Amino acid sequence: MGERGTSHAVTVEVNGEKVSRIVAARQLLVHFLRDTLGLTGTHIGCDTGNCGACSVIVNGKLVKSCMILAPQVDGATIETVEGLADGDSLSPLQESFHEHHALQCGYCTPGMLMSATYLLRQNPDPTDEEIRRGIRGNICRCTGYVNIVKAIRAASREQASGGRPVPAAAGEEV
Amino acid sequence: MLLEQVEYVRPQSLDEALEILANDDGAAPLAGGQSLTNVLKNRVASVDVLVDISRLDDLAGIARTADGGLSIGACVTYDELDRSADVRQTHWLLGEVAAHIEDQQIRNKGTIGGNCCLSDPTNNLPPLLVALDAVMELRSRAGQRSVASADFFKGYFATALEPGELLVSVTVPPMPAGSGAGYTSLAVGADAKAMVRAAARVTLDGGTIADSRLVLARVAHVPVRDTDAEARLNGGDATEESVAAACAGVADGMQPIADVHGSSEYRRQMAKVMARRAVSQAVAAARGSRNGSKAGGN
Ligand SMILES: Cc1cc2nc3c(=O)[nH]c(=O)nc-3n(C[C@H](O)[C@H](O)[C@H](O)COP(=O)(O)OP(=O)(O)OC[C@H]3O[C@@H](n4cnc5c(N)ncnc54)[C@H](O)[C@@H]3O)c2cc1C
Ligand code: FES
Ligand code: FES
Repeated sequence: MGERGTSHAVTVEVNGEKVSRIVAARQLLVHFLRDTLGLTGTHIGCDTGNCGACSVIVNGKLVKSCMILAPQVDGATIETVEGLADGDSLSPLQESFHEHHALQCGYCTPGMLMSATYLLRQNPDPTDEEIRRGIRGNICRCTGYVNIVKAIRAASREQASGGRPVPAAAGEEV
Repeated sequence: MLLEQVEYVRPQSLDEALEILANDDGAAPLAGGQSLTNVLKNRVASVDVLVDISRLDDLAGIARTADGGLSIGACVTYDELDRSADVRQTHWLLGEVAAHIEDQQIRNKGTIGGNCCLSDPTNNLPPLLVALDAVMELRSRAGQRSVASADFFKGYFATALEPGELLVSVTVPPMPAGSGAGYTSLAVGADAKAMVRAAARVTLDGGTIADSRLVLARVAHVPVRDTDAEARLNGGDATEESVAAACAGVADGMQPIADVHGSSEYRRQMAKVMARRAVSQAVAAARGSRNGSKAGGN
């Protein structure tokens, strides 16, 4: 029998760390991450599943954490933007976003990075169209997406060549 | 966003889920949650207990039926449809339409069952399932029954599901020999919600269309077959001119809906265009080796 109630015990692994909490059945995963666990890197832009700022990876699948209830993820492995860097060392994608000026206000960036991370795992050498489709669920109000696509493309090339990405010269097409 | 107080339960078996649904009027199945979560946020429906069916083995997986069709568990996600070798092999277009629903995050969670049971007129899968003659397999504590997809969608957010009943799977019959399918949408932006859609399946006998299905979406609140247009297509040449002529009268006997996205007359005109393209795609697919055309996205 499944346990029925307005609160539930939940055990998850978040960025490699096991945590157990009692959650309200009505708590959204994004609030569990931000308010209960203090992982405020995951942002809330719309709260209706439209903007992608809250994107995280649950059991290897990219999802919007405002569209999932906390009790649904019991037993899951969760990756958030906080798990991308290794200490002070940024992930190749983060590095590439930095180098290609792929963020302005940065509000969409955590979600963009999670979508890009998922995309490159599924498809290490995406075309520009595949990159654009990969971030279809992530809205950016600042950049116009061009530099985000460039950054993801550069990171995929860097991944392919096994080295760090080469910084683009100003104004040059990467 | 704070949701209203609600209970949550994750039953361990299909029987247990049906038991809870039978005993509690305020119980609602939770599948991918990609619509229901927003319904709860907006407080437009009052739900006492969410019955999480997403991990039930009985609702998972895609199986090949003995006759070469597909049996698709209600909780199969769009992403699983997209990646299924079985789906792509015999019902290529079903995988392709699923691959173009909104975005990757929604495709990783949204289910074929949720897409149908919500009966949101903008949802992508219902018109295609009607064009493919799919059958909805429903179960409650009282037993199991099958409902043709054409009879399942009853109205705006309304289906043939009775209280306490779950959609357990969708059976898609094999594509008839010599057939192909097509699907087109009028939308602003790639993979976006459509103003008008058409889904078609044609079976060719040499250069002639022997049989057809032409289903329109967003013309009414549920997918509708244009049987007048089908009658004009059937027995006609499978040429562009002949298809265009048969589709010129599409939706003429209907009173298409009007809303902020388009007037009734605009929808009628666009339905003709979408229908012609979907049928042409289906003809091209029937001529090719694939059951479901490559052209046209969603
Ligand atoms: C921003 C956004 C954009 C979207 N755009 C599109 C789009 O363009 N096209 C499209 O097709 N969809 C779109 N969707 C909706 C999405 O596809 C949903 O996933 C779908 O409508 C519902 O499927 P679900 O599995 O998430 O169901 P849920 O949200 O879990 O459930 C939906 C409803 O169906 C009931 N239900 C679910 N499964 C069953 C079952 N097996 N038996 C009985 N009842 C059941 C639930 O009780 C609920 O009432 C969009 C969603 C979002 C958030
Ligand atoms: S906050 Fe989740 S999609 Fe916008
Ligand atoms: S950088 Fe401001 S929203 Fe993307």
